[in-house]
Amino acid sequence: MILKNIRFKLTLWYIIILGLILTSFSTFLYFTLSSSLYKGIDVKIKSIAELIASSSTNPFYRYSFGNIDRMLEDPFGWKPVTKFFQVLDESGRIGRKSDNLQHFQLPISALALKNASQGKVTFETTKALGKYPLRMVTMPVIRRRHIISIVQVATSLEEVEEALKTLLIILCITVPSALVVASLGGLFLANKALNPVDEITKTARMITSKSLNQRIKLRKTKDEIGRLAETFNDMISRLGRSFKQIRQFTADASHELRTPLTILKGEIEVGLRRRRRPEEYRKILNSNLEEVNHMSQIVDDLLFLSKADMGEVHLQNHRINLTKLVSEVYAQAKTISMAKDIKVHISNDADAVVIGDRLRLRELLLNLLDNGIKYTPEGGEIRISLERDGDQVKLWVKDNGIGIAPKDQPHIFDRFFRIDKARSREAGGSGLGLSICKWIAEAHGGEISVKSEVEKGSIFTVILPLAPHNEGMAKNETKHPGNARYKIRGF
Amino acid sequence: MRILVVEDEKKVASFLKKGLEEEHYAVDIAFDGEEGLFLAQINEYDLIILDIMLPKLDGMEVLRRIRIHGSSVPILMLTAKDSTENIISGLDSGSDDYLTKPFAFAELLARVRALFRRKMKEKTDFLRVGDLSLSTSTHQVKRGGREVELTAKEYALLEYFMRNPNRILTRTLITEHVWDYHFDPSTNVVDVYVNYLRKKIDRGFEKKLIHTIRGSGYMIKDEP
Repeated sequence: MILKNIRFKLTLWYIIILGLILTSFSTFLYFTLSSSLYKGIDVKIKSIAELIASSSTNPFYRYSFGNIDRMLEDPFGWKPVTKFFQVLDESGRIGRKSDNLQHFQLPISALALKNASQGKVTFETTKALGKYPLRMVTMPVIRRRHIISIVQVATSLEEVEEALKTLLIILCITVPSALVVASLGGLFLANKALNPVDEITKTARMITSKSLNQRIKLRKTKDEIGRLAETFNDMISRLGRSFKQIRQFTADASHELRTPLTILKGEIEVGLRRRRRPEEYRKILNSNLEEVNHMSQIVDDLLFLSKADMGEVHLQNHRINLTKLVSEVYAQAKTISMAKDIKVHISNDADAVVIGDRLRLRELLLNLLDNGIKYTPEGGEIRISLERDGDQVKLWVKDNGIGIAPKDQPHIFDRFFRIDKARSREAGGSGLGLSICKWIAEAHGGEISVKSEVEKGSIFTVILPLAPHNEGMAKNETKHPGNARYKIRGF
Repeated sequence: MRILVVEDEKKVASFLKKGLEEEHYAVDIAFDGEEGLFLAQINEYDLIILDIMLPKLDGMEVLRRIRIHGSSVPILMLTAKDSTENIISGLDSGSDDYLTKPFAFAELLARVRALFRRKMKEKTDFLRVGDLSLSTSTHQVKRGGREVELTAKEYALLEYFMRNPNRILTRTLITEHVWDYHFDPSTNVVDVYVNYLRKKIDRGFEKKLIHTIRGSGYMIKDEP
């Protein structure tokens, strides 16, 4: 559990690394110091031994060892308090020795004696005297290739051992305490760094689909955590928007289906309440059929849009002669509009070829014309025109109908957006036609826009990219590249 | 019983009118909030069926304005929005009941009858004056245990009489509650129908139930 906590993990790593550094540093310090101390002792006793050796052969320096302290003090400047000396003959018999050795004598090992007989100096550590071991040098005094005596100088290792012991104690206390302090510090730092993360986690955990208005409190600094919190907040806002749109969309869709359902249910129930004449049944069934058709239209459009949202609508791309397509759709629109006594004009001189899906483009044009016919009163006029503009083609559908209020214009391509619920239902729309137009235009790399004035009419403009001139290209592309890009915004 | 239906969806309004008329109610239709409010203010309805989503003036506002003018006419809200807030705010604003679209027509009728009962402080849908009885749900009329066959209009007229026993009902009141706004008040249709009804209810019985109050109108009562 604790290992799942990043602050403990961080601190643990920190402690392990710091511990390794401190331990190796301490070990290095201890051994370096100890070796240099021992070396110093060896140098010291050797130089004393040399001094004694030289003095013992110097005829002018024949004084007793009782004064040796002073003798050593003069050239070296230090008191050899715990130094012991003794001079032996080559067979190992003890001759003179220092005053502080009164009842003792320094041991002489067989190895040292053998080394001395070969003229070699021997350093030894012995446990002969007192609590602390002695460091001892055994040095032969040689004159004219003959060993005349053996000098032994020893000193207690008390100071060195004590110093090393103290150092060890200090290290044993300071290293762990340093580690404890460092771990607390590390934990503090990790906490400080990670507390905002905890806060983010807490907020994120509290957020459900119903509380998407909550936000993480932003810190003033734009550091990593600040940016994380900001990213989270952005994500929550986006989620919130999507949830809201989905809820709105579901509510709209169910409302849209509810009206035809109410009519179907009501008409059928009232119809069944008594025996009726065949004409009456026919009337009811005709009306029912109308509603069923309307519902099919809504469901088809919904299905198309949801497929489009999932990126599952694939365009069958070919080179399409837009001029010809507009003429075809114009002919179709003319027959529809006759029933309402609306004149449809076309100005279609430009020769425009685009790459696209013939069925979809046809749907786009028909939807726009159908829309124009729906919202233009009897005796009105609709004009379609096509114009080339650089590497684009502009297509207008202009009517002199009821128009769209400025406040409604930004929403006109939204799903189920209705300016006048009753009017559009009577006209038989699903409320999704213009959303589909927008999707088709954008899926072809184009755009759609509207300009309108109330009571004067509306102009819908579709801009599509023209096909490149070389013939062979994009003849039979089945899948639109980067389909996902053309998902309708907001879903 | 005269009902006002305020509903912008023409087909819904149309089947409501047809279905309710077949249940012998007089039905007027308004297609938007303004028209609905106007009709509610100039006519005395026994019940108003009000859609919430209406053009020009939304149903909640129509409801509020009807209540501001002190009318206590029973109002049944029709709503496509089934959210609790809408229902609560509708009931709080003075509606007596609500139905969510799509609804069962039989349920609508049952609720309409219940609202009438509540208005008349009746306990069942069985009306009785002397030995004359009328069931508002089955439309069965019996005098002295024998079933009486009535036309739709005769039934509507009798139901109105029996909901208001011992009370003088003027010709104006009768036309207002039994006929819709296409009724031409200059005719003597009311007197003609009251006579039809008398023939079917009172003929052959010693005790007459429908009485003419000279200069005022008619009354149904058990005592001579």
